[in-house]
Amino acid sequence: MSKRLIKLVLFYIILIGVWQCLAFLKVWPEYIFPSPLGVLKTLVTGFEDKTFIIGILISMKRILIGYGISIVLGLLIGLLIGRIKTLNETLGTLVLGFQALPSICWLPLALLWFGLSETAMQAIVILGSLFSIIIGADTGVKNVPPIYIRAARTMGARGLQLYTKVIIPAALPSIISGFKQGWSFAWRSLMAAELLYVGLGLGHLLMMGRELNDMNQVIAVMIVIIVIGVVVDRLIFAKIENKVRERWGLA
Amino acid sequence: MIKREYEQFQFQGEELKKLAEIKPHKLIDLRGAVCPHPLNVIRDTISSLNDKEILQAICDHEPTAKENVPRFSARRGYPFGIIEQNGLWQIFIQKIEKAQPRLQVVNVSKAFKTSDGNFTALNEVNLTIHQGEFVCLLGPSGCGKTTLLNLIAGLDKPTKGEIWSNGNRVTGPGSDRVVVFQEGALFPWLTVMQNVEFGLKILKVDGKIRKALALDYLKLVGLDEKFHNSFIHQLSGGMKQRVAIARALAMEPSVLLMDEPFAALDVYTRETLQEELQNIWSESHKTIVFVTHNVQEAALLGDRVIVFGKNPGRIKSEYEIDIERPRKIDNPEVFLNTKWITNDLREEIEGSEYEDEVRGVAQR
Repeated sequence: MSKRLIKLVLFYIILIGVWQCLAFLKVWPEYIFPSPLGVLKTLVTGFEDKTFIIGILISMKRILIGYGISIVLGLLIGLLIGRIKTLNETLGTLVLGFQALPSICWLPLALLWFGLSETAMQAIVILGSLFSIIIGADTGVKNVPPIYIRAARTMGARGLQLYTKVIIPAALPSIISGFKQGWSFAWRSLMAAELLYVGLGLGHLLMMGRELNDMNQVIAVMIVIIVIGVVVDRLIFAKIENKVRERWGLA
Repeated sequence: MIKREYEQFQFQGEELKKLAEIKPHKLIDLRGAVCPHPLNVIRDTISSLNDKEILQAICDHEPTAKENVPRFSARRGYPFGIIEQNGLWQIFIQKIEKAQPRLQVVNVSKAFKTSDGNFTALNEVNLTIHQGEFVCLLGPSGCGKTTLLNLIAGLDKPTKGEIWSNGNRVTGPGSDRVVVFQEGALFPWLTVMQNVEFGLKILKVDGKIRKALALDYLKLVGLDEKFHNSFIHQLSGGMKQRVAIARALAMEPSVLLMDEPFAALDVYTRETLQEELQNIWSESHKTIVFVTHNVQEAALLGDRVIVFGKNPGRIKSEYEIDIERPRKIDNPEVFLNTKWITNDLREEIEGSEYEDEVRGVAQR
């Protein structure tokens, strides 16, 4: 076991130990300060009676649809903005502006347009992640060394081939970074939106915990949300990103 | 090399008799001439010949490159015969109609828009390059040599004038004219093999043929097989340029355009690659246009060295380098040519990076 891992495990053992001690001493009432054991129990029952699993599946379905649409749209718009000067000078500024807007600020607009519905949920996920993906693709395309394009042209590549064989591959590291940032924005805005919508997602389970004064459930759902976020970010995106950077010789 | 050319034109039996019977229209007697410049005498006489006329030059010793007696190759449009009789060497030359030029640059100007108005990168440039020639474009930065290469490649369009390739007007890039760039033009997301196959894939060449071609050319440029599946950042600078040359050659273009391909390499790697490029060229009979700012490199590699001046970019002078191949960097004739061209450049260019270049050459 590496030294780093030992330190990490020790830290969490001590943290949970202190937490358990404080809970055991009953410094605060349980609805304010739950014990780790209580949280663990809720987690187990939550997975046993499938409420958590259903919550995860529903949230995942929403994010996959919304994020999928975001990827397609974002890539397309990003590539166009990156290559076409007029679009960059017009639409590009709008994208930069929207990027500065915290994604949850789309919620009132989405609710007014689509009501309290699945569509509103999707809209928030899409709007939350779209601009990061556009900017990632746009930056990537703008930073493609012109010599790659010249080299490809001298070897006879033209039109769409330049995009598929040179521009997209050359911009891939930046595109992947955009995807990664887009995903974390999508995940955050979905959770925020679910707090307000009765739709059985994880955010809704979190809100239910509050309404029932069940602090154990609040913490348990928070842990689930954190774990999903970390797993996707670390195990999927970071891996892809590292692999791409390594292959491109950027690492 | 000179021996090989002799063999090529060695006449025997009947042919020898025929050649001896030729009554030349013009005769130059170089017996007793202490050559410095019989070259110029012969060259001037050729230009005054009619197409049908035959020139005979007589020397009292074997014409060797060292003594600067020209060897007129078929490549330049002059066939020749050499026979030896009683210790006298007779050279027969007939002017033939020149083949269609491989590349023709006609009155080409190129201007770029900059923040302080128009910048004339090239002004009224004319240049004719024949099939199989190795032409070096030499000059300081900002003289438009790379601009001209890009125009020939079709990557840019001239502001004025025309460029012709094999009788066709150049309007864009073509797979008959492939460019080898300075370091950094290989695709990092592809392996060495995939890079070499890139152009063939664009041309929709069948997978098996593509692979075979790529392997052939990687072998020709001397890249170790264990690097065939490496990624580009795992290669050294010299290996990268080998791959870049292989990638261009794999398209089998008749013209190879090289934009300072060895400029970023260390001295030893550069010398090796310069030698290998000469071999590749003499085996493949490609037309090579080679841009460089290194006088020595130009004198070493070129049949012709076109010297560019700047402000505005234009052709200043032209040298024919008539030294047998393969040439080595320590060949005294290469050194001499380097010195002449350097002097020529020094006259015009002051205070540019040429000072360093000159000092570098003087030290060697």
